[in-house]
Amino acid sequence: MATTRLDLLDPAEVARLGGIEIVAQGVVEGFLAGLHRSPFRGFSVEFTEHRAYQPGDEPRYLDWKILARSDRLFVKQFEEETNLRAMILVDSSRSMAWRGAEDRLTKRAYADRLAAALALILLRQRDATGLVTFDAAVRQVVPARVKAGQWTRLVRGLLETPDGGGTAAEGALRHVTSLLARRGLVVLISDLLFDRDLALTALRYLRHRGHQVIVFHVMDRAEMELTGPPEVRFRDPESTASVVVRPRELARAYAVTVQREIAAWRSACRRHGVMYHHVQTDMPFGLALRLLA
Amino acid sequence: MIFLHPLVLLGLAAAAIPALLHLFERRRPPEAEFPPVRYLSEAERQSARRLKLRHLLLLLLRTTLIVLVVLAAARPLVRARARGAGGAHEPTALVVILDNSPSAGVVADGRPVLERLRAAARASLAGARPEDRVWLLLADGVVRQGTGPGLVAAVESVAVSSRRLDLRAAVEQAGRIVDAEPLPAREVHVLSDLQRTALGEGRAGVPRGVRVLALAPFGAPPPNWGIGAAQVVGGAVTVNAVGTPGAGPRAVTVRLRGRTVGRALAAPGSAVSVTLPALGQGWWVGDAALDPDELRADDHRPFAWHIGPPARVRAGADVGPFVAAALAVLREGARVAEGSEITVGGRPGAGSSVVFPPADRALLGEANRALAARGGSWRFGGPGTPGTISAPRLGGLNGVAVMRREQIERVSGGGERGASGDSAILAAVNGEPWLVRDSNLVLLGSRLDTAWTALPATTGFVPFVDALVNRLARGEGVVSSEEGPVHVEFRSRGADTVGATVYGPDPRESDLTPASPDLVEQTLGARMLDDTQFAAARFAGTRRADVSGTLLVLALLVAIAELGLATLGD
Repeated sequence: MATTRLDLLDPAEVARLGGIEIVAQGVVEGFLAGLHRSPFRGFSVEFTEHRAYQPGDEPRYLDWKILARSDRLFVKQFEEETNLRAMILVDSSRSMAWRGAEDRLTKRAYADRLAAALALILLRQRDATGLVTFDAAVRQVVPARVKAGQWTRLVRGLLETPDGGGTAAEGALRHVTSLLARRGLVVLISDLLFDRDLALTALRYLRHRGHQVIVFHVMDRAEMELTGPPEVRFRDPESTASVVVRPRELARAYAVTVQREIAAWRSACRRHGVMYHHVQTDMPFGLALRLLA
Repeated sequence: MIFLHPLVLLGLAAAAIPALLHLFERRRPPEAEFPPVRYLSEAERQSARRLKLRHLLLLLLRTTLIVLVVLAAARPLVRARARGAGGAHEPTALVVILDNSPSAGVVADGRPVLERLRAAARASLAGARPEDRVWLLLADGVVRQGTGPGLVAAVESVAVSSRRLDLRAAVEQAGRIVDAEPLPAREVHVLSDLQRTALGEGRAGVPRGVRVLALAPFGAPPPNWGIGAAQVVGGAVTVNAVGTPGAGPRAVTVRLRGRTVGRALAAPGSAVSVTLPALGQGWWVGDAALDPDELRADDHRPFAWHIGPPARVRAGADVGPFVAAALAVLREGARVAEGSEITVGGRPGAGSSVVFPPADRALLGEANRALAARGGSWRFGGPGTPGTISAPRLGGLNGVAVMRREQIERVSGGGERGASGDSAILAAVNGEPWLVRDSNLVLLGSRLDTAWTALPATTGFVPFVDALVNRLARGEGVVSSEEGPVHVEFRSRGADTVGATVYGPDPRESDLTPASPDLVEQTLGARMLDDTQFAAARFAGTRRADVSGTLLVLALLVAIAELGLATLGD
């Protein structure tokens, strides 16, 4: 384990090594070992003072205003804020329990492990971290804490949430606002198969409250490209809706539609100051976490 | 368009299968969960028009494919007027006129013309299909109906006939036959050497819609010489030479009982006279012959004549100057003698008599009573209309004008005309009897005077009077000519031979000059075509090309298009 970067392995292979805890810890160890610095510095710290620039300092911390006024290089020093509160929202709807192939994780399994790893990193930074799982309604709520045993509670919260029915992210997002009194971090992990406008309204509200919002759009590779028998009836697991299609004749139009949908989410999130990341369930966890670095 | 296998067209119902499948298909495709159904619905909504068009095109292509395959299996035949187009033809009524008249026996380029005509007839008949109606018409005038193969066998056995074929009449007859058939197409194939003399007079009445095709003659015919007729008159035989106009003279040899009795040179269109040796009384048969040429059928012709004792004639006082002069000439030539065997005048004598009407019509009753007293079945009637004489068996009388005449009518059944019993109508004017032999009585409708007829002023008058007294009044039949195989037949009455018929080919057969295409067109209404053109035109009016191959190619193209569209859609 020490010599293998679990964060860069195939998620399905990693998942076979053990439960969520083991996998998350292994992923986080490998991930942090490869970073050499705090992954989330910048959004969970507050400015304290300036010091003179030294070779090796990151240019992004240069104070450009001082440089403009005095023609001297100073970098900004930050102090970690100990009372940052983060809430991780995991979509536990029935659609998340789907996978396109036996050798891949379901979207839910992938989301659980990603959420556990992320929570572990945050807790190690002593950020109070909580969890909300939801489908058509909020199913599990673990308030944000930083005390010992919090990660175990978070993991238990994930494990104790069964696969649900339909999806209503808006309610869960609004519920989070009541859980985060101060500015904090909200991470939404979902396949986003719900009404985009309603969800964006809730996300925009979170941003309005000053929260940093990150969206992980989880998809299976099989959802990106339409394949299957010559003719098949596809049924929505969350509703009675179904449609008979000939995958080969609709594949191109479907791929275009999916790409357009992703682009629409990405564009809308950027417009509202929400970080949007598209991940597939065969993407190593380390790469998904690196998207936040 | 017609179909060789029309029942296969029932398979066109299968063309509805794609549409029916589309309409009534109860699709039970496998089911699968797929969360992003909303993306699918959106993609389908946006592609609906394209997919609909594609499905419609696929439906159309698949239906067309089935239709094309079924049509190809039904073997459609379409009109193919293009030269040399193969394939079948619509049901056709066909008469093949195979001219096997004597002229077809001519040898040209080492082959009898008939052999080539037979080959063309075989090709026409072999091209006939079972649904065609086919007839074969030969020079004998008999129309033979049969199947194509059956008539081909008949053609194989066709030999040169002794009968002349009147092509115009034959084409008319053939046209009537095919026109009576309720078939889509009607054709008449004229396979003949197309002699100019075989076309007859006028234009053949060919019904509309009947195609008449005439095979062009096989090159220029060789010059020909033939014997058209040979007749003994006054101790000499007159030989009429016939053949190709303009051909030079040829030697004519006259033989009697195998011995050459005379030779002369004669060109076609001319006549030569060869004196016969003094012979005893009785019937004699001779032969006039030419050196053999390419047409053998007309190279010789027999002739027959009778030598009897001079008739002993007693002329009445009312015979007139012309008859009296003619009898004087005949008496001088020892053709007649004084006696009471034959009486010539206005009233019959006790024996054989030649009776003409009295100059005074008031004496007609007396003449008729005398005829009745002799038991005659003919009598003089009222005045007849002027006209010209028609006498098939007395060639010298034909066309001679009759200005005045008395009708000759039967005593009983006055309307009856023609020969019966021992009576015979030997010449007629305007279709009414003018010269009648009634047993040993011979009745003339006109007096032999130039006020009644122009006959006394013609050169044939003396021979006519000779025939009257020596043959007709005596009851001795004339020597007549008939068309047929070359030979002589004698007629007898009781134990006596009373006449002879000499058979031979029609003299018109000897002129092999072919008719021009224009004349053929005008007379027969036929296009004159060479071998190649004839083969192409045969059944061409309704020739049908089998387009099943084309349909299969189209079906293949449609199948490729369907595959391409289906794959492109994928």
